[in-house]
Amino acid sequence: MTDWAAKAGLLVMAAISMVGCTTTAHVQVEQTFPTVVAEPRQVSAAIVMDQTFRTYQAFPLKNTDIAFGTAQVDLWGKAFRGLFQQVEVVSAREEVSPDTELVIIPSVQEVQLSTPSQSYLNVFEVWIKFRLDIETPDGVPIDSWFLPAYGKTPDSALLSRTRAIEGATVVALRDAGAKLILDFYRIPAVHVWFEQRLAAVDP
Amino acid sequence: MKNTLILLLLSAGMLGGCASTTTIDDYRPTTELIRISSEEKVAVLGRRDAGHYETDGKFIECIGNQLDGSHFEVVGEQEFVDALYPWFEPRTAPKGIKRLRKLMNDPYIKARVNERNIRYLVWLDGEVESAGHTGTMSCGMGPTGAGCFGYASWDKNVFFEAVVWDLMDVTEEARIRVDAEGTSYVIGIVAPIPLISPVKSQACQGMGDKLKSYFSEATG
Repeated sequence: MTDWAAKAGLLVMAAISMVGCTTTAHVQVEQTFPTVVAEPRQVSAAIVMDQTFRTYQAFPLKNTDIAFGTAQVDLWGKAFRGLFQQVEVVSAREEVSPDTELVIIPSVQEVQLSTPSQSYLNVFEVWIKFRLDIETPDGVPIDSWFLPAYGKTPDSALLSRTRAIEGATVVALRDAGAKLILDFYRIPAVHVWFEQRLAAVDP
Repeated sequence: MKNTLILLLLSAGMLGGCASTTTIDDYRPTTELIRISSEEKVAVLGRRDAGHYETDGKFIECIGNQLDGSHFEVVGEQEFVDALYPWFEPRTAPKGIKRLRKLMNDPYIKARVNERNIRYLVWLDGEVESAGHTGTMSCGMGPTGAGCFGYASWDKNVFFEAVVWDLMDVTEEARIRVDAEGTSYVIGIVAPIPLISPVKSQACQGMGDKLKSYFSEATG
């Protein structure tokens, strides 16, 4: 082997090693979620998921982005169908049907990511803070509910960084759906609204 | 001849060291077997709510495979959790019979369980811990070749608990705890030679056999 070939080989090896050490991750979450097993209440609601929400991309760390817009649209669509008998998913507030009783506008407030190099734990963790603006069709606010969700990988061993972050994000989204089903009607303002609505329908 | 004997004794000693000890404790409220028909199914799930560990997915799969040869069908964790979403997520999964009763009183949840013919639930909880790392091994690479020299060993402790719930009668049917421990070695004589103690697979085998022995075919 010539000296030139040996140097070229070394350079290629060094380049591969350097690429292996960078921590850039573009994570695209394209998960579909199961339908919810719950009895929906006799309420017609409109869920406003605008373009920003539908194409949401979080930048929790430098060189790491997580795009979970498509996945969260699927999740919220299914989760709200477990709460309300009629659900209309629209892209803008103006598209809400006149016979709607409740308007909900979900948004992502914050996304945090913890990696094994930061936490010294053998897991990737994702926290997502959602906000649900709950309004009447006339735009009167009922409540702004903050919904924190958490997800982690069982074990980061043998997982690529991208796969691990994707896995933790899916668990966090599932957790958000679970919290919504569990707690939505326990929100004091929603509870009061629902009781008033029941009284108005069946005095 | 003498050297061969020493080598054989050393190898036997090493392999003997790799052996693991498995202890199985079980509790059942009755000595009667758990009746299950061939149409009914058993779901095997892992606990995911502890902060510092999660029940090993491979162990859950292993127990599922152990039960799979029985006369009943085994439902995988993901399939069960998806079918009953969101009631068996880490946030919502019932920790005890009281909460399970509440869930099974929900007609929607009950209907989904009946529709899928899932009669029993096996909850697995536990982890594998490594401790007592000793020895050193160094590996190197030079122009003439590469190699490892040295010796390393570590202890592996495994504990798992299985709890069997009857989803129809909403009762706890059995509780099994398996503890296993063993020491693994890596000897570096040019190439690293691992001598891994099969603690997890032995714990799985022990627990799987015990679980299987509880079930008997219901007729009529």
